[in-house]
Amino acid sequence: MSEQLPEVLESVFREIPNLVFEQQGPRRLRVKLRADALPALLELLKGRAGYLHLSAISCVDWPQLNEFELVYHLWSYEVKNLVSAHIYIPKKPGRYVSVYDLYIPAAFFERDIHEMFGVFFEGSPSMEPFILTEWYGPPPMLKSFSTLGYVEETFGWQEYSPEWLSSVNSVQ
Amino acid sequence: MTTSQTISIKSDPSTDIACRTVDQKERSLLRKVIDRIADRCRSRSLFILHYCTGCGAIELPPTITSRFDSERLGIQPMVTPRQADILLITGYLSIKTLKRVILSYEQMPGPKYVIGMGSCTINGGMYWHSYATIKRLQEYLPVDMYMAGCMPRPEAIQQGFLQLIDNIDKGRANAWQEYYCNYDYYLGNQQALFGPDWHTPTDVIAEAQHYQLFSENTLGEHTALLAKFASEYVTQPIPTKVLQREEIVE
Repeated sequence: MSEQLPEVLESVFREIPNLVFEQQGPRRLRVKLRADALPALLELLKGRAGYLHLSAISCVDWPQLNEFELVYHLWSYEVKNLVSAHIYIPKKPGRYVSVYDLYIPAAFFERDIHEMFGVFFEGSPSMEPFILTEWYGPPPMLKSFSTLGYVEETFGWQEYSPEWLSSVNSVQ
Repeated sequence: MTTSQTISIKSDPSTDIACRTVDQKERSLLRKVIDRIADRCRSRSLFILHYCTGCGAIELPPTITSRFDSERLGIQPMVTPRQADILLITGYLSIKTLKRVILSYEQMPGPKYVIGMGSCTINGGMYWHSYATIKRLQEYLPVDMYMAGCMPRPEAIQQGFLQLIDNIDKGRANAWQEYYCNYDYYLGNQQALFGPDWHTPTDVIAEAQHYQLFSENTLGEHTALLAKFASEYVTQPIPTKVLQREEIVE
C-alpha cells in the first residue's frame, strides 16, 4: 500500500499523530484522524502536497455513537488523488472550527451543514439560513427529525380511489 | 297649436332605452349566449405558460413540437404569465417554488386555467414524505385538471388538453373564479406555509370586485392580516367587514 502512496502525502501523514489511512482505489484515499488535528492536516495538504480544491464537506449523523462525522474531500490537480478526511465530533455541543481561512468555498459547505444538521462552525463568515424557506423546525437532516411526522402535521392528504383501482383490488 | 311637453330625464337603471322594464332573466340569457360564443373561441386558442417546476422536460417538448404537435389543437407555449391562459404545473413543487408559482398565477389575466401534471401535484407522488414539497396543489391554487402519472406520456397529455378544451367549450372550466370567491381560504393555506406576513403585489380583492366575483368568502380572518403587511398599492383600506353581494352592487 505505502509504495503506491505519493511521497509528498507520506511526508504529510507522518507529521500528524494517530492518523489512519486506507487506499480505497487508485485515486482514492480515506483518512481518519482526531478532530483537533484536521486543520493542521489541511494546512499541510494545501501547502506541501498541492491539494488546492476542497470539493465538498459532508456530514453524517450517527445516532448510536451520538456523534457527527465530518468528511472533507480534497482533490489535488498535481497528484490527481482524492483525500477524504474523516473526523468525529460530539453532538453536544456540536461545534467545530471553520476552515474558511484555508479554503474559501468552505463557507458555503459549512453554512449548508449548519442549516441541515445544526453544527456550528466557529470563524465561518456566515451562519445564517441558506436554502430552506421559512423554516422554523429543527434541522431536517438529523436522524431524530421525523419527516413523515412533519408532513402529517403540515400537509393533508386527499382521497384517491379511481374506478380502475377498485377493479385491480377486486382481482387480487 | 303645439304644446311643449317635458320629458323626464331621470333614468331608471332597471329600464332600457325604450323605457321598458328589463327582464333580468332575459339579460342573463343574452349574456349566456355571448359567453358561449366567447368560450368556444377561447377554447380554440390557448397559450401555455410551461412552468417546468419539477420534471416533464422529456415529455413536454415532443408534445408541443413537431412529434405530437399540440399546435393543431390550438395550444402553444408562451414564456410570460401575462400573455398565457394555462399554467402547467409539471411535477413536484417545493415550498420555495410554490411562492413563485403563486406570483406567476396572480399575474395571469382571467380566465386562466391550471393543470396539475404528474402525481406529485396530486398527493406528493414519490416525494410524499418530503418536508420540502407541497402535497396537494389545490389547497394553494384552484386546479382545473390533474393528469396522473409519473410522468404522463405525451398521448396522455394530449388527451388531457382535449378534455380541457372540451371543458372550456362547455363552460365548465371555471376554477379560476374560485380563487376570487374563496380568496381567504387560499390565502390562509399560503400563509400557513409562508408565515403570516405573506402577501403578493397583486391586488386580488380589487380584481375580485372587477370580475364581479366578490363573495362573502373573499374576505376573512386571513385577508385581515393583509392590512398589516400588504403594500400600499393594493386596495386600502382592506375591508375588515365581510360585505354582502348586494352592498357591493351598490
